[in-house]
Amino acid sequence: MPNKMKKYTLLLPALVFLFIFFLLPILSTIVESVYQPQKGWVVGKYLQFFTQRVSRIAYTRSLTISLLVTIVALAIGYPSAMAIVSVPNDSLKSLLMTLVVFPLMTNPVARTFSWLAVLGREGMINNLLLSLRLIDSPRRFLYTPGAVFFGLLQLFLPLMIISLVSALENLPKEVPLAAKSLGANAFNLFTRIYIPLTVEGIVAGSTLVFTGCITAYVTPAVLGGSRVLMLSTLLYQKTSVTLDWGMATVIAVVMLLTTLVVNYLSRKISTLGVSKG
Amino acid sequence: MKKILTIFLLLILAMITFCAAKLNVSTWGFNLDLLDKNISKPFLERYGIEIVRELGNNSVRLTKLISQKNNPVIDVVHFADYYAVLALKEGLLQPIDVSKLKNYAEIYDFAKDPIGNNYGVGYTVYSMGIVYRTDKIKGPVTSWKDFWNKEVAGHISLPDITTTQGPPLMMLFNQIYGGNAYDPELKAAFERVNQLKKNVVTFYKTSSELINLFKMGEVWMAPVQRFSWGQFLQTGLPLAWVIPQEGMLGFLNVISIVKGAKNLEGAYKYIDFLISQEVQYAQAMDLVDSPVNVNVIVPQEIAEKLTYGVDHIKSLIFYRTDFIVENYDRWINKWNELIAQ
Repeated sequence: MPNKMKKYTLLLPALVFLFIFFLLPILSTIVESVYQPQKGWVVGKYLQFFTQRVSRIAYTRSLTISLLVTIVALAIGYPSAMAIVSVPNDSLKSLLMTLVVFPLMTNPVARTFSWLAVLGREGMINNLLLSLRLIDSPRRFLYTPGAVFFGLLQLFLPLMIISLVSALENLPKEVPLAAKSLGANAFNLFTRIYIPLTVEGIVAGSTLVFTGCITAYVTPAVLGGSRVLMLSTLLYQKTSVTLDWGMATVIAVVMLLTTLVVNYLSRKISTLGVSKG
Repeated sequence: MKKILTIFLLLILAMITFCAAKLNVSTWGFNLDLLDKNISKPFLERYGIEIVRELGNNSVRLTKLISQKNNPVIDVVHFADYYAVLALKEGLLQPIDVSKLKNYAEIYDFAKDPIGNNYGVGYTVYSMGIVYRTDKIKGPVTSWKDFWNKEVAGHISLPDITTTQGPPLMMLFNQIYGGNAYDPELKAAFERVNQLKKNVVTFYKTSSELINLFKMGEVWMAPVQRFSWGQFLQTGLPLAWVIPQEGMLGFLNVISIVKGAKNLEGAYKYIDFLISQEVQYAQAMDLVDSPVNVNVIVPQEIAEKLTYGVDHIKSLIFYRTDFIVENYDRWINKWNELIAQ
């Protein structure tokens, strides 16, 4: 019994910290968005959010881009993580991991601005396409949803790879070998061994990437500009320009709930896969 | 022995810092070393009042003021004129008795009462004119209407409606194309900008973003705030500053006293000091702020980087900020509807 007590005591500082600095502010934000002491129940702002064309466009755009980035990050990240884990040389492995983490260590503003140099009218991609004579005049890549997609993908791919690498490292090496010796082909090996056993990593990585995408501000603001309005740029307008805190809270709550729902669904889908396997 | 001496000295130091009267100033976090040199140090020497700064952008500092409304920590606050009007509407400011300001008579008339009823004094001014690449555009660029020229299509940028400069520029467009700047719908301006949007590279949000777009050759012509002109010149590009025939937009940064300020006497001294010829000169020479004090005289090479000089000042157009505050929500919604597609 005392042992158990000890465990909980060790947890206490983290719990207190999270309660005061995370749970309490979030709960008060949510409560404030539906109930205000002076006015009673208020849902008008939610109605306004979902009936306004502009906020609906921003919401569906944020949702689509974030989901696409998450899916593509998973598709690119999984093989990369498998390759990194299979490297036998430890120092090479840590070098590869450093390279993966590298984008996370550069300043997000600087990183986003360097995208301008790549995607611009006189940027690398346009110059390449022009010199290959694939196009005859510079194309506009900047300030499009596509630019935001690539910016976010580059930004959050490392989070996906890190989560998958740690999940794959926990997978006992004997299990795939055993499966192979029992006659599993590559497809079966992947869908019935790898995916079910790394589900935690997939869910964690997807949640991190999706949450990051839907809340990212600098990348959509710089690479998308005014013509690609997203949820986070709309939130900025409400908090910093018009000081419409009511609407800003509603947007923040919508973001939070969306993340929770997506997280729940991804768990659900992945456990479905496991029980089948 | 040494220890005791150190403690004793530390105690004395602590006493001095606590005894020196303090003035809490809310302002931006730019050029802090120069603000110390030009304002804090001489102010402490002359009046024995130590300036304590609280830093942040306009909206963050306004939010803080709102949350401290009943027991304010801040005595004086620096705001861009738009946010000063917001603060006034929130009931956060008190009127300034300008008869207590010795240097008040020395500032431009447009800086004397920018937000009404003496709730603020303009202490620095900046203009917004047109900057263009002289090697790419034959020009001559002379008018705001030149943004609609075919020659510049696809190479222009305009400020986003959410920037401080966005709404007044729309009012100016409405004046030019609709004959009236004070149209709550800005009908003519929105029609024109909607036509123009396919030719606009992007609607910029910060001057550093715009400088980058010039550097990369994306943008050849844009409305530019004068305080970033020095940085534009540093790019080494062949650029020209144009005072359009319709005039340039003028903007003021405003200093106000917080309602319930604890150090009212210090607040008046600070404001008077800030608009004095000596401080305004020092700030101008360091290219921190353009002067509103008419007695400030700076050499040519400094003047070229400031909002300064008879022609420059004479061309300035100031629109009523309270009109922008009243209609801003609707304009942003309309902008989102039309531009953010």
